[in-house]
Formats: sequence, structure tokens, C-alpha cells
Amino acid sequence: MTMKTAKSVVEIWLWGGPSQLETFDPKPNAPRDYNGGLKAIPTNVAGMEIHEWWPQLAKCADLYSVIRSMTHSQFGHESATYLMQTGRLPGGGEVCPAIGAVIAQQKSKTYKGDLPPFVILTRAKGRFSEIGFLGMEAAPLVTGGNPNSQRFVVDGIVPPSGLTPQSTQDRFDLLAELDAWRPVGSDFNISKAKAFDDAGVDARRITEGSAAKVFDLSLEPEEMRSRYGRTEIGQSLLAARRLVEYGVPYITVNVPGWDSHKRHFETMKRKSGDTDRAVAAFLGDMKDKGLLDSTIVWMCGEFGRTPKVGWEAPWNGGRGHYARCFSALVAGGGFKGGHVVGASDETGSNVAKRPVAPQDFLGSIYERCGIDPDGPLPNAKGKKMTLLPPQSECGRLKELYI
Amino acid sequence: MDLNEMKLTRRTFLGGTAAWTILPNNLTAAPNNKTKKPDKNLGTAIWEKPDGSATDSVMVRRLYLDLAGRIPTREEAQAYVYSANPNKLESLMESLLASKDFTDYWTMRFCDVLRVKSEFPINLWPNAVYVYHARIRRFVEQDESWDDFGRALLTSQGSNFRDAEVNFFRATNRRDPNGWAEATAQTFLGIPPSELTASQRANLSVFFANVKIKNSREWKEEIVYVDGDDLRDRLCERLFADKRREVSAAFLKLVHGWIFGTCGTPRKNSEELHLKNMLRKIVMSKEYSQGSISGGFPVRQLDAEVLDDIFCSLGGDTRNYQSPAPEPFTFLPPDRRTICVEDGSITNGFLTLFGRPARDTGLPDERGTEVTAKQRLYLFNSGKLHQQLNRIVASSENHNNAGNPTSSNRTPFPKRVDDIYWKLLSREPSPRERQLIVNVWQKSKATKTKRANPPNLLRDVAWCLINTKEFLFRI
Repeated sequence: MTMKTAKSVVEIWLWGGPSQLETFDPKPNAPRDYNGGLKAIPTNVAGMEIHEWWPQLAKCADLYSVIRSMTHSQFGHESATYLMQTGRLPGGGEVCPAIGAVIAQQKSKTYKGDLPPFVILTRAKGRFSEIGFLGMEAAPLVTGGNPNSQRFVVDGIVPPSGLTPQSTQDRFDLLAELDAWRPVGSDFNISKAKAFDDAGVDARRITEGSAAKVFDLSLEPEEMRSRYGRTEIGQSLLAARRLVEYGVPYITVNVPGWDSHKRHFETMKRKSGDTDRAVAAFLGDMKDKGLLDSTIVWMCGEFGRTPKVGWEAPWNGGRGHYARCFSALVAGGGFKGGHVVGASDETGSNVAKRPVAPQDFLGSIYERCGIDPDGPLPNAKGKKMTLLPPQSECGRLKELYI
Repeated sequence: MDLNEMKLTRRTFLGGTAAWTILPNNLTAAPNNKTKKPDKNLGTAIWEKPDGSATDSVMVRRLYLDLAGRIPTREEAQAYVYSANPNKLESLMESLLASKDFTDYWTMRFCDVLRVKSEFPINLWPNAVYVYHARIRRFVEQDESWDDFGRALLTSQGSNFRDAEVNFFRATNRRDPNGWAEATAQTFLGIPPSELTASQRANLSVFFANVKIKNSREWKEEIVYVDGDDLRDRLCERLFADKRREVSAAFLKLVHGWIFGTCGTPRKNSEELHLKNMLRKIVMSKEYSQGSISGGFPVRQLDAEVLDDIFCSLGGDTRNYQSPAPEPFTFLPPDRRTICVEDGSITNGFLTLFGRPARDTGLPDERGTEVTAKQRLYLFNSGKLHQQLNRIVASSENHNNAGNPTSSNRTPFPKRVDDIYWKLLSREPSPRERQLIVNVWQKSKATKTKRANPPNLLRDVAWCLINTKEFLFRI
């Protein structure tokens, strides 16, 4: 195969586990106890339907493919997240790095930008270490702040208001005079001092070069900002596009709030509206700017939700955790659009066709990035490890490879 | 003690081009590699005596950071520096060893090693974290010997909520005889799992063959029990009698590593198994009093937790540690210092950024010790840090030289500079430093720029000081 490998990856992480039935695997013909009485809508791809709450994505289904047969065994948030992010089951004495840290590390060999190769908008997943055993250098830049506010303050990169370039320069001039402790007698201390100074130079290059402007969303036309939606997810994805343009290899947009144990349908409808608009605008904009072919976009949560609705109190129309069968979206970067991989049974409870294991899904992303998932995982302490466990029987998503 | 016992393997100076001070507009000279002598024009006398040993102001900060997990207050630093007592090092050491701060800080260190966290991937569960933390705290506070403590852990039975020691068997990545063999080797013999041979693992796991864990009727309670012969007493005999030298060497390596990092290894094993005695020997050794400029005392970056406590206490901030799991949510009291946070699962972005260990493996290298560009971005530009610096500057208004609040008279500008130096660096500014800052002030007044107003310039000074190596490193 001669196609070019993807340059960047954008992960849209639906933290909490969104329902497969109200996203990409609707079951309009199932009993109301399963579909809540809701419908599917056609997309611009013949024969492909998605849930009625995703009308914008329905208009551009040719840009992405959906997998309806994701499956694994972990029903708790942390262990399922670990599995979906690392391709491995928890335990065994190692804490492995997440896909973002691995790809960022591999791609950083060729990435020349000043921003870290792994950026997270806007909050880290938390209670789960993305870097595993890779160490501090692989750690993502977590932006904090709110891209939908007047000024998107990325703590540390965007200076506090009131600091002008001149007053910043004055400070550094004074610092150069006052930072006078300087070891001469031990090469260990000399190397520590050098690392401190080098890190300072790298940091200044970020704040004073073009990198900081990436986060200045006011440079975007008002019309473009509205197209994504004036929501946190909308403006986060707009920032993600700017980060792709800048060249950052791995960008994660964490979208919390999908853990709808109670009053699932109210939550799901609200979350779907904002997310649908933002993701559709993002994919369309990426396509228009010619970035989609070289950028992989993937979206899913750590699992799906229990197909049978809990109508009774205290759930009042809720869905629990469900990992046996759920859906994922993948687009761009050498993946075909407009396809459906696998299928679930009539209620969305079990995989009916072509199961896709987490390591198959992640392995496909690695392959499209030009990274061999069966190659060695660097820095695994003393232990020989491959990037991912061997692919499952049905294997990676070759049917989607362009 | 024999001072050679703790002798560091001194590394030789390798020279090199050393183009390492590359901040723009740096007016100071590069170090002279040929003579290996510190540049006297920079006033190195602040940090090092002519014989290469550390000055009092370096020692007081070093002692507080190593033993109490904090920097001294202005008053504490001055009391030490101005004291004429020839035994002041020893007396400060003893008072710190007896302090609550010592217990808090060293408990944190041992909780790192024993992987005290409620959730993934250790999953102790909050109630068990709190009892286990309290038990480890008792070990530090009462200076229980390492083998007695080890025996209590290794032979424990009962409930994870009531018999704290059984959490040793739960705070592992694998709860089976092989996992416990690895935890034992790592904790008491200093052998990480990656270096443990198959036969070593097998030899150790035999002793745990009959150890089992079962659930009780209480939510998340687990009972560690022995089904059959309990072979663990024999394991303790093997470890703490037959292999006593190995155990004490591993313990020394652990404690020594916390002070000296990876630099140098302790030369001779004294079979000391009491933490406080071991620290006494380290602190009173000649190596510990070396300077870090030409003396070669290895620097280390301040722990994330300690740094957070410094910014919060000087900046008048409260913490708001909380945990969303399990419901109902856990909220720690706002005055809880970060080094006292029991649960490794309760964290925040600052602590992650500055290298707090995840407590996933308990290995010493889990703690981040390299300065990163992201850390320096925070120190340069963080909005939260700027608010804290503003409060430090505001508090310098009401101090005269003796440290007493004076509300009637405004504190003169140079005294306010002194106050900020004492608070952040535990020393007074050198004449050169004081002059530099006063010159900037005079010039700003003449040109009527922003820094003519003292708080504006003092804010810049405080910002500069927390961005120095002297601040971020324990030198």
C-alpha cells in the first residue's frame, strides 16, 4: 500500500459512555423498552441510518464510518477507559501509556512545532494516567480554560491580563540577573541547571512565537465560530482544527457528561444536539481545508449503555454501563467514509457480525499513522512489550483502509 | 558515626562547552570551565563557604525541605542563620525530627512506596486508604523499626477497614502469591519486579501459598486470611534474620535515595533499621553539609506536593481536594496541606504537572524529577500563581526588619525586598542583588514607568525569585 500516513489524530472522547442506540446504532423497530419510542433518520449515504438526534452528522455521513460492533469485557469507567485507551486489560504490574501518549511520542521524531505533541482540550480524563510508564516528557499539555469564553486562557501559555510584551521582557531581563546560582563542581548539578534553562527557553519559544496564537480563537471569522456552535465542545473542536493546522500530532477533546444512569433521554438529547453540530462542522471544515485526508478523527466512549431502559425509580428512564456491544466513529486519515462496520442484534445487546476489539480499533489508528502496532513499545521497563496485544480473530479495520 | 559510611561517589567534572545559560539578555558571564571556580562576582558566598561547604541559609532550607517537607518561615530561617550556637545543626535536626511536619512528610514518602491510593489500578478503596495511611503514619511517628513494621504487614490478617496492615496484600497490581512475592521483594529487598528472577519469585511466593482474600457483607470490605498453614512467620525469619543485611541495605538505599537522588550510593551498610537514626547519620555526615556549587551536593527538584504547599501557604490560598468516587463525594478540609493528602487518587493538574507519583508501581522513579517546559510555562504565566504572588507582595507591606507588623509606618522599599527574599529563598538578598533591584526602582521613578510603584516592581521580584533554580531546587 502506498498511501501517505496520517499526520495528526483528533480523539473526541465521550467520557462516561454514550448510548449506542441514541447515536450510531438506532433500533427503531425494537420495543419501546429498548428504543424509548425514538426514531432513526436516513443519512446522505444510501442505506445508512443514524439516530434522529444527530441531524447534522446525517447530512455528511460520507465523511465518516461507524463501527456498530465494538465489544469488550470491562463495565467500570476506569478499567474500561484504560482498555479503550491502551488496548490492554488492567493489571499485570504495568500501567501502559494511552494511545495519545504513544502516537505523540512516535510522531515527535518528525514534528517540529513548539507546542507539545500531545494537547488535551480542556480537562484531562483524571483518575487515569495517560502517560503510563512513559514519564513526564510524554505528558500532554492540558489547556484548562474555556474556549467558548471571551478569551480562551490556556494557563501558562496565554499570559495573565495586564502583562504586555514589554513588561514580560523587563521581567526576564531582571530574572537573568537574579538567577545567579550556578553549579560548577558536579556534572550532575550542571546538567540539572542546564535542563532548567533549556526548559525555560522552550517555554519562552511557545509563549512568544506563533504557537500561542493557535489558541486565539478571536482570529477566526465570527461566522466560523457560529458554525461550530458557541458551546464548549464546538469551540474546543475549532481549537482542535487550529492545532491540526499548526501540526500537533495528537489532540484529544474530552467531552464529559455521558454517564446517563438516570433520566438518560433528557441528558442524551441535550448532549447530542451540541455534539452533533460541533462534530459535523468540524468534519466539514476539515474537509474544506483539505486537512481531513491527513487527519484521523475518532469518537467514542469507554463503553455503551444498557440497551434495556430502566424506567423504574431511581433511574426514571436510565441506562447503565454496557461494554458487550457499542459504537464508534472514525473518519479521515486513510479511513473510508460512508461505511458501516459490523452489526448488533435487533436490540443492540450483542454483536451479531464482525466483532471489533479495542486493540483492533486502536491498532487500525496506529497503522494509518504509519506505526506498527506489533512493533516494540519503547521504555517498557525491562520488559519486552509490543505496542498492542495481538489483534483479535476478526482483526483490524482493513475494510475501511483506503 | 564514620563519615565514610555515607560517602557519595563523587563524579568527575566533564567540562564541555556549557552554553547552558541561554535566556536572552543574560548579562552574566558563562562559567569558567577551566578553573572550576565559582564566579565570585555573582556573590557565591551566599551559598557556599570557601571550603566548599554550604552556608547556614542553604542548610536551614535544606533541612526543612528534607525533614519537614516545607521551606522555613522567615522567622525560622532567621533564627537559624543568626544563631551563634555551635550545635545548631544538630538541634534543628532534632526538633524537626520530632515535629508533626516530619511525620506528615515522611508518611507521604512511604505511602508512595506502598502505593496508597483508593482507585485504579491499585483499588484500595477510600476507607482502606485512610486506615492504611494512619498505620504508616504511626510507623513514622513512633520510629518503629523497619523490620517490626515489615513483620506487621507481612503477617497480617483481617479486614481491610479494621486491620490496616492487610492492605499490604491489597495494594498490589496482582493479588496472588506471585504479586505478593513481587511486592515483598520490591519493598524489603529493593528488587523491582523487572529484575526479580523467576526462581526468586517462586521462592518468595511459596510463603503466600495459603493467603486468600474474600468479601464480607460490608460494601467493599475484604478479609485477608490464611487457609491452611501460615508460612509467613518463616518468611519474616528468612527476611529479617537471615537476610537482615540485604533488608537494611535496601532500606538505606531507599532513604538515601530520597535525600541524594540517584547520585552516589551509600558505601557501607550499618544494619540501621530505624528511620530517624538513619536520617541523623545522613544529616550529620560531612557530605550532607557540602555546597552544591563547587561542593557537589546533588540538587533535587522540589516535590510537587511541597511546591503546592509553598505557593498556597505564602499566597494565602486554600486547597479544595475532593474525590467524586465513591458517592457521597469526599471533600478534604481546605486547610489540609497537600503533603497530608492521604489518597494518591485525589489529585489535580498542578500535582501531575510537577511530577507527583501516580502510586501505580511504588518504584522510586515514578516521581517526575526533570524540569519540563510545561512546568516553566506554569511558573512564568499561570494566572493562579500570579494571584498568589500578589498576596505575597501585599504581605510584605506590613513587616519591618524584625518581622513585626507595623501598621503605622510604611515599610521602606529595600526592607520589602528583604522580606520577599527571606520568605521565598530563606535568606537576605546579597548587596549586589539589593542594589540591582533598587537601581531598577530608581530608574523607573526617573522614567515614570510602571515599576516606579513599589508593588509592581516587588511583584516582578517575587516572580523572578520563584523562577530561579535556587527556588525550584533544593540546593
